[in-house]
Amino acid sequence: MADAGLTGPDQDSAAHRVIGAYLAELADRLGGPPAARAAIVAELEDGLWAATATHQAGGSPPEAAARAAVAEFGDPTTVAAGFGPELAAATGRRVGLGLLTTGPLVGTGWLLVVAASWTRAGREPPPALGVIAALVGLVLAVAVPAAVLSVAVSGRLSSWLPAGPRVAATAAATAASACVAGDLVLLAGLVASTVFAGGVAWPAGLLAAGASCARLNLAGRAARRCLAARASLT
Amino acid sequence: MRAEVLKGHLDGLLLAALEAGPLHGYAVMETLRAGSGGRVDLPTGTVYPALHRLERAGLIRSRWSSEGGRRRRSYELTAAGSRALAGERSSWREFSATVSTLLEGRPWPTPA
Repeated sequence: MADAGLTGPDQDSAAHRVIGAYLAELADRLGGPPAARAAIVAELEDGLWAATATHQAGGSPPEAAARAAVAEFGDPTTVAAGFGPELAAATGRRVGLGLLTTGPLVGTGWLLVVAASWTRAGREPPPALGVIAALVGLVLAVAVPAAVLSVAVSGRLSSWLPAGPRVAATAAATAASACVAGDLVLLAGLVASTVFAGGVAWPAGLLAAGASCARLNLAGRAARRCLAARASLT
Repeated sequence: MRAEVLKGHLDGLLLAALEAGPLHGYAVMETLRAGSGGRVDLPTGTVYPALHRLERAGLIRSRWSSEGGRRRRSYELTAAGSRALAGERSSWREFSATVSTLLEGRPWPTPA
């Protein structure tokens, strides 16, 4: 296009400052996953230099051409707001995929605790284990479909679901919140087993508790990010 | 022509701009401007996010390359995008023929 063969504005430090300031302001206003934000900034940087080259080809000196390019691209707040739905979808998708990936690992850790502490040890499991299993089942019944939905509506299905980004962020926030609740139930169960039921097999218990604490922290932050992304769409 | 006026036709216009071959985001904006004599001058905050949305929907795909030491993202139509463009054209022809007939007070053409 118009920037082919033009190398002048890239070399101009004043033009660099103008475009750099614009991109810094834009980056400050973008939410969403860091990789998605960086990709947007890199893409718009290329676009700004292409626009600068076009204005320079029309007779403007490099700095004026850069200023014209920035003006042409518009207010960074408005540009960043335009990316809101895409970044909300990216956030929901990333959180949904993360939960679907880590969920089986955390679950396997807790199944190992049950196996090592009671099933393989030949001990009778405490009655409260049934309650914990029922609560975890309830959490899974919410978290898994919500996480799958967040991934589904932020991908190809978005052609048929115009509300995809909002739904993706909401579903991912729901899934992450459910995981927080599930981890709290499991950790409470571990404490109760230790105090009232003679303890658990500790190598497996420590592993599962560590995994749940890590996911509790990450899922809590992910839920807040998803809610913030959804709120930015209103 | 403002973006709001083109609401509902934005996807078709972007797909049409990419029909001739891969373009980066600013080149898509320039193609629409040049192809409409400057009448279609869509803002950055509309075009770039719409390209991302079309990619998410599988209608276009992007590739990163290096251009003058900078990273450049170029977009091209997918097979699904070509089919969607054909659908957009067909819908537009029907819509514009209907509205033109009504606005100009002509009788609806009946098959011979």
